Amino acid sequence: MTPPISVTGLTRRYRDHLALDQVSLEVEAGSIVGLLGRNGAGKTTLLRILAGQEFPSAGSVLVHGEPPVENEAVLRRMVFVREDQIYPDVRVRHVLRAASWFYPHWSAELADALLADFDLPPNRAVKKLSRGMRSALGIVIGLAARAEVTMFDEPYAGLDAVARQIFYDRLLADYAEHPRTILLSTHLIDEAAGLLERVVVIDRGRIVLTADADDLRGVATAVSGPVLAVDEFTAGHAVWGRRRLAGQASVVVVGPLDQADQLRASSLHLDLAPLSLQQLVVQAAGQPADTLERTSA
Amino acid sequence: MRTWRDVARYHLVMPWAILLIPWAILAVSFIVNLVIFSLAPVGHHEVLTSQGLVQVANAAHNYTGGVASIYILFFAIGTSIVGRSLPFALTLGVSRRSYYAGSAALGVALAVADGLALAALQAIERSTDGWGAQMHFFQVPYVLAGPWYLTWLTSSVALALLFVYGMWFGIVYRRWNLVGAAAFTAAQLAVVLAAVLLVASANAWSSVGHFFTGLTAAGLTGLLAGMAALLLAGGHATIRRATV
Repeated sequence: MTPPISVTGLTRRYRDHLALDQVSLEVEAGSIVGLLGRNGAGKTTLLRILAGQEFPSAGSVLVHGEPPVENEAVLRRMVFVREDQIYPDVRVRHVLRAASWFYPHWSAELADALLADFDLPPNRAVKKLSRGMRSALGIVIGLAARAEVTMFDEPYAGLDAVARQIFYDRLLADYAEHPRTILLSTHLIDEAAGLLERVVVIDRGRIVLTADADDLRGVATAVSGPVLAVDEFTAGHAVWGRRRLAGQASVVVVGPLDQADQLRASSLHLDLAPLSLQQLVVQAAGQPADTLERTSA
Repeated sequence: MRTWRDVARYHLVMPWAILLIPWAILAVSFIVNLVIFSLAPVGHHEVLTSQGLVQVANAAHNYTGGVASIYILFFAIGTSIVGRSLPFALTLGVSRRSYYAGSAALGVALAVADGLALAALQAIERSTDGWGAQMHFFQVPYVLAGPWYLTWLTSSVALALLFVYGMWFGIVYRRWNLVGAAAFTAAQLAVVLAAVLLVASANAWSSVGHFFTGLTAAGLTGLLAGMAALLLAGGHATIRRATV
């Protein structure tokens, strides 16, 4: 079966910087993928190119097996609402009505339910919405479109904690009933971690990590304790970042630890703490790409 | 074709914005002019004829030029149709090609409808002696002075031309911002300048003059239609490169 998203050697060069550098990525049908990385890492550029809104400088991008640019057969099967989406000068209900004409699987009921959940006033002009309300409108469109490829770019800028929880709950509920491929870029990594089945970490235009979210739990561990003991324990392990304070050291060990490692750590009186997804991304975003390839293999 | 229709519907989702604003502004201009004409009647001079002295209205003083506002509005709508509405249309999965075709089709349809309305208003103006105030609001000497069908044709073509020109401008601005719009304007001025230099170097001013004085309103309309076609093609070539 053709994967819904397949990217090979994608490069996007702007005048003075390389936004995407030889990105290759394949996304399977029916999964929720988190696109994680720092500001300016290239997440939005990648999503815009996937949505046919921006053009690649080099490389190939296939959505449902075809290039998306100017290809309505493909474009109608995907939805991508940008974080800074520009809307025409109309009201909220006009935006939703227009959207209902273009998406073949549009659900007006879901749109209405989400509107109520987010307390969005249908008669308000879009340009008078607050930052959070605009984000909520983007979420309503993205979910109600029920497109086979659904992409959210930082969907909850300005949304409060309650509204974010509504988003997670509604996304999961509708995803369970209408499975699709969801690509979600976000900064709030730990908050979304429970949602994500796969994780793609992008840094300075390059993909530095691709893995199943489950595999990442326990893939790196912070080892802390007396310097000598830490040094002894970490010999032979791949490590990231080493921090020392007085006689204490803290090192991140890459790769799963087996039972023997656990025993050795406890006999050396070392503390082991698995890295959360967010800590992992922070570490990954600071590493040269080759150390990470080893870990994801 | 279905997408074209949906794009047109998309622009008309809040219908008054496109359909009524040009007429609202035209109405304001019309009323202001009518008030002025009623307060200060057109100057007259007396002409000695076989019936003695006859009052004759001063020609060329009773034209307002107020009808220009609707043409300017068509240009403005053309720019905003790209500037404000293109990004969300692309989000909705419309290709640039269909978006352009659907928007241009809507613009041409509006131009034809509004051109007909302008012709009708001109006919009323003629039959009411200039709205009872000898005001020539919908009549423009030479250009919009012929029979009603020629007024319809010329107005429609001119409105469509400005709409399409506005769209092209909007696309350039969308893609390359202010610098691009400035460069675009400069390029157009350069084309005009090149034409002037060409004519001057060929010493051909008198033939250019003859061409224009010999041009009928219908000929002018044909010329405008040709320009509109050129602008339409230019905008089409540009929107393919537009990103949002």
